[in-house]
Amino acid sequence: MSSGIKVWLYLTPALFFLVMFTYYPMVQVLWDSFFFKAYGQETASFVGFDNYARLFRDPEFGVAVKNNIIYAVGTVIPSLAVGFGLALALMESTRFKNFARAIFFFPTLVPLIAAAALWIFVYFPNIGLLDYYLAKIGIGSTNWLGDSDIALFSMMLLSIWKNAGFYMLFYIAGLQGIGEEYYEAAELEGASYFQRLRYITLPLLGPTTAFVFIIALIHVFTYVDHVIMMTKGGPIGSTNLVLYYIFQNAHEFNDAAKATTSTVVSVIALLAFSFFSIRTMERGIHYES
Amino acid sequence: MRIKHKFASKMKTLATGTALAVAVLASGWVAVPQAIAAEKIKFYFPTSVQGRLAIIMKEVVAEYNKSQSDVKVIAVYTGSYAETGIKASAAMEAGNPPAVAMVGANNVLEFVQKKQIEPIASFLKADNKTSAEFLQDFWPGVRFNAMVNGELYAVPFQNSTPILYYNKDHFKEVGLDPDTPPANWKQLIEFGKKLVRKDGAKTTRYGLMFPQQVGYGNWILQGFVMANGGQYYNTEYPGEVYYNSPTTKGALQFYDDLAHKYGIMPDTVTPSSQVAADFFAGRTSMMIASTGALGNVRKNAKFKYGVGFVPGNVRNAVPVGGASMVIFKGQSEAQRAAAWKFVSWITSADQLGSWSRASGYFSPRKSSYDMDVMKDFIAKYPDAGVAVKQLKYTKPWYSTYNYLAVAQPMGDAFQAVITGKSSVTQAAAAAQAKADELLAPFNNVAGYPTK
Repeated sequence: MSSGIKVWLYLTPALFFLVMFTYYPMVQVLWDSFFFKAYGQETASFVGFDNYARLFRDPEFGVAVKNNIIYAVGTVIPSLAVGFGLALALMESTRFKNFARAIFFFPTLVPLIAAAALWIFVYFPNIGLLDYYLAKIGIGSTNWLGDSDIALFSMMLLSIWKNAGFYMLFYIAGLQGIGEEYYEAAELEGASYFQRLRYITLPLLGPTTAFVFIIALIHVFTYVDHVIMMTKGGPIGSTNLVLYYIFQNAHEFNDAAKATTSTVVSVIALLAFSFFSIRTMERGIHYES
Repeated sequence: MRIKHKFASKMKTLATGTALAVAVLASGWVAVPQAIAAEKIKFYFPTSVQGRLAIIMKEVVAEYNKSQSDVKVIAVYTGSYAETGIKASAAMEAGNPPAVAMVGANNVLEFVQKKQIEPIASFLKADNKTSAEFLQDFWPGVRFNAMVNGELYAVPFQNSTPILYYNKDHFKEVGLDPDTPPANWKQLIEFGKKLVRKDGAKTTRYGLMFPQQVGYGNWILQGFVMANGGQYYNTEYPGEVYYNSPTTKGALQFYDDLAHKYGIMPDTVTPSSQVAADFFAGRTSMMIASTGALGNVRKNAKFKYGVGFVPGNVRNAVPVGGASMVIFKGQSEAQRAAAWKFVSWITSADQLGSWSRASGYFSPRKSSYDMDVMKDFIAKYPDAGVAVKQLKYTKPWYSTYNYLAVAQPMGDAFQAVITGKSSVTQAAAAAQAKADELLAPFNNVAGYPTK
């Protein structure tokens, strides 16, 4: 058997499912986004780019996009920073540090829907965990999910708690991959801890950061369980994210056209963004050969 | 398609093979009973107010299954009213609908529009009854939401109205008569101001709270709008809402005053779970919530509580709420018969009465209240009687085309007023504009009332 055929044979099972459940639906959604089926009508009619025009005119879509960008920045950067910090602190394998790692990794294992149920209690005004302890240091009660100025930030905190431990694992692996000799050489030259961090660790962790960054970004755009569970996008749309916007239009508002159209827009945006961020970051990355 | 078919037929062969093997094995040992298999039907049900009811519903269905051998009902808990509607509709589109579903009473219109449910008249024919005769025993307030275009599509099962719950201990503490709840908006403010407790700038106890999530909050608001003398939507034509009318703006202004002018209620959005928890913990002296929460309050209030009509302004008026049984299309003749048999049983005066006592919802059937067990119950729990007395002020629940989408902008509007993000004028105008845009396409749908 020639190796070409072998390769395809190996790839077939994976490709089959990818085509069935990823690429075929993507094409179908793209196709559907050019059609509109009015309520009570049996058939959909071709409308060209009308759905797109309607989508971009919808102020709620703008709000969802804006919220999602704020949510992305406020979640990805802190959770990467926390993950990196934890990795630095817990890099060496000692009995205590292994235990601590497990503790910080634990939230990753909790399904998001369960975590959201848990955090509803954490955020409960007055009797919730957060308010209970804040009251002990003299801070009054806060309606964490019912105040439209705060709700999105409450969601960010949950996401950071949920994901930082996961990113920590990648950073630990990345840190362990950096050769001791770089640090030894730097120490001989009299480099301080922060100099070593700045000129050795961070640059050599470039590939890890690029990878984790993309993972984290995809995370904030593709997970919406907590919004459904905790706020339903409210109050006043302040926690409405793009995926929830899609869900509402598809299932609650009888507007499949808007749902497919916004799906197409968000998939294109996400692909473009991943592509460009990998390109830009790769320029500054030092891959060890 | 072919793949699916092949897979299905393979599974079928496998299943038949296994069944045969089991049968052959079993017949060697014991005689296989010749009983005719019961007709299996699926039943989707939600709970709106309390999770406890999901457990009770499973018990009720188990009781039914035990009581007879023709029908076996498989009860599937499907979340909230809205979620149950979405799931049943999606199951229908996927070709696997439940036979029976309990859906929000204002969801019926949408199922009829999507041509997903059966008219009840077709089942009544077998019993030699007309819809009008059948409805005789149901309270007038619950009939409207079960009908579309003059035809009956649903059997009311559990019904509710908003009602005022108050903490009698707090009333006594501030010198109010614990047996006299506020009768109108003026008194609501007057009592509320007395009941509020502050610790510096911080409010430690509010006078009033009510659920303000989109959906539940719209239902409460509908009550305030009607109490203010107006209409929330056009009952003759479900393609029109009155979000920007003077009476609606008056109700929103009342919210604004309660939250900001008097500080009687929080200036943040409070969902139903929080309202109940705060009422039980004594952090609000009054709450407006569904009568469906009566069972929960009876169980959890560790203080003397009272129940009263929702205070009116120019009149007393509350919307009816709750859920009805509907039967889905796409069933075999045997399943249809089984479905109706189950629906008839569970909506009998007897069953509705016991469900009412367990849950706090009122029974949509008048005859439930003629039964001795119900009379004794109301004598023991007078609060259940208040809910029934308020029935004469009930009006239909808002039920518009595309009702979830149309409810959203009003939800955003009252939340914006409560949180001080928007003025009443601005919020009401924005909600009306959005609703009009959503309802415009329905002006000319064939077969449905138009403006």
